[in-house]
Amino acid sequence: MATMTPKERVKRFFKREPVDEMPCFSGMGTVTVQAIDKMGIRFAQVHGSAEYLAGSAITGAEMFGFDGVVVPYDMCTVPEALGRGVSLYEDAEGILYPTVPSKWATLDEVDMPEDLNVIFEKARMPVVDEALKILVGHDDGKLAVGGWVLGPFTMAGQLIELDVLLKGLKKDKDRVEGFLSQMTDLVIAVAKHYEDLGVDYVNIREMGSGTDLLSPRMWKTLIKPNLEEVFSALQAPKINHICGSTDLIIEMMNDCGADAVSVDQKNNVAESRKKLGNDALILGNFDPYGTLVQMDPSEVDAVIKKCIDDGVDAVWPGCDIWPDVKEENMKAYVQAVRKYGKEPTPAVGRV
Amino acid sequence: MGKEERREELLKELHEGVVEFEEDQVKEAAQKVLDEGLNAYDAVMNGLAAGMEEVGELYDQQEYFVPELLMCADALYAGLDILQPHITLEDLGDKPKGQVVIGTVQGDVHDIGKNIIKMMFEVAGFTVHDLGRDVPLEKFVEEQLRTDSEIVALSAMMTTTMMGMEKVIKMIKEKNPDVAIMLGGAPVTSDTADLFGADGYAESAGNAVQEAIKMISRLREMQNK
Repeated sequence: MATMTPKERVKRFFKREPVDEMPCFSGMGTVTVQAIDKMGIRFAQVHGSAEYLAGSAITGAEMFGFDGVVVPYDMCTVPEALGRGVSLYEDAEGILYPTVPSKWATLDEVDMPEDLNVIFEKARMPVVDEALKILVGHDDGKLAVGGWVLGPFTMAGQLIELDVLLKGLKKDKDRVEGFLSQMTDLVIAVAKHYEDLGVDYVNIREMGSGTDLLSPRMWKTLIKPNLEEVFSALQAPKINHICGSTDLIIEMMNDCGADAVSVDQKNNVAESRKKLGNDALILGNFDPYGTLVQMDPSEVDAVIKKCIDDGVDAVWPGCDIWPDVKEENMKAYVQAVRKYGKEPTPAVGRV
Repeated sequence: MGKEERREELLKELHEGVVEFEEDQVKEAAQKVLDEGLNAYDAVMNGLAAGMEEVGELYDQQEYFVPELLMCADALYAGLDILQPHITLEDLGDKPKGQVVIGTVQGDVHDIGKNIIKMMFEVAGFTVHDLGRDVPLEKFVEEQLRTDSEIVALSAMMTTTMMGMEKVIKMIKEKNPDVAIMLGGAPVTSDTADLFGADGYAESAGNAVQEAIKMISRLREMQNK
């Protein structure tokens, strides 16, 4: 039976201390249409208001029984504060996540402020701060609050054109390395800022760096050193999340100084567990779209069970939950985490 | 040196230039093809495209990754820009190849996979109407009707924009059931393609390359018969 508050459970979990049951939470967005509808708003409206962000996170967590809440939901807050704009698609029917409309076209155009702290006053950054403050104070701090920042390489891809970045890794290596180093400072500044606001964990999402795009060798020389720098600068429990193909780099991922690694459905977790041993905290790894939107509710239980059988310490979706989930599937997912999460996992015991 | 020998030599330069992403080498070899009166279509198909086929194999073997693919694509384009204006209707079997409308759907600003597929269509002699990225859904329908294209190729890199594809397919098929629809992008699987009523799919930028290269290979085989 549950004896801990969600926040206690998550905090102990990251310290690898025994918990009463597996926490059900994520380091990516878990906003759903059910929560949005209940609030009587539209998805496009949620990103620009602290009350809507915090409210939808809390509504969703209470509706389905999550231990944690995470904001913001889109990946444009920092690029927007750096003057790259944002497309919110307010007129589009259905759900579209915001995108960055005007990335820097070349490295020559990059224009970073000398004092990175100025970005916290710009665009929607204060809205996110306010939302995090609401979440941290909600219900006497009962829920675990997660903050997240894109990793240096993925942040770079949100600020300049991806093909410039990718080709530059080969053809313009020194300048691209310099840019990635600037991105590392930026990621650290934002992550520390969220730590100061009192989040319980910070997820660094270096999503675009899996071996679908980059070679393991390139990952080692260009991605890993920057992630190491980020993690060594942070205090709060910190997670190294990468989606896509990660089997070839999982050991290096675990070696970057984070408290946990998070992977998606492309990772062979049973193998990863063997490679990393039982001390490593592994989070993952179900396909949120396939499992929560497409599947029949009766099939969800087996997907969650497999994640746990393969050796994750907490079941995390591999990415943001696609908001248009089936309510029954969400319930089945949380229920399965509770059902199969009673037993100890490789890195975390039970009280 | 005999003409055939010289042809082989230039094809090899084009091929290697694409594989080694040496744009300058490709440009020079392409110019020589024209200067020496050799066939431009032959140079595209058996030099540039053959080089890209090897690139696909290197990608398969995980020797090349996306940064290398992009640079190889740049090298191929450098050659294509020079050679394509000199391809004749006769080369293409006396009739122009089809037309394609291509773009990434609204909500998605990633266009690497789309650009590679576009290049493959161009290599194969198709007329490509590129709508770019973050394209509102109605645009695909309008452009198909405007150009009477036989193929509409849609790309979405993220799950979150994939749903838009279903709507486009429905809209196009309602107006013109004969249009072939290709889907591409990281979250698209054959199941999704079936579900959405599309005619073909490619899974990722890499798979798109594989699919496109296979298409080119088939064209080359036919050409060489």
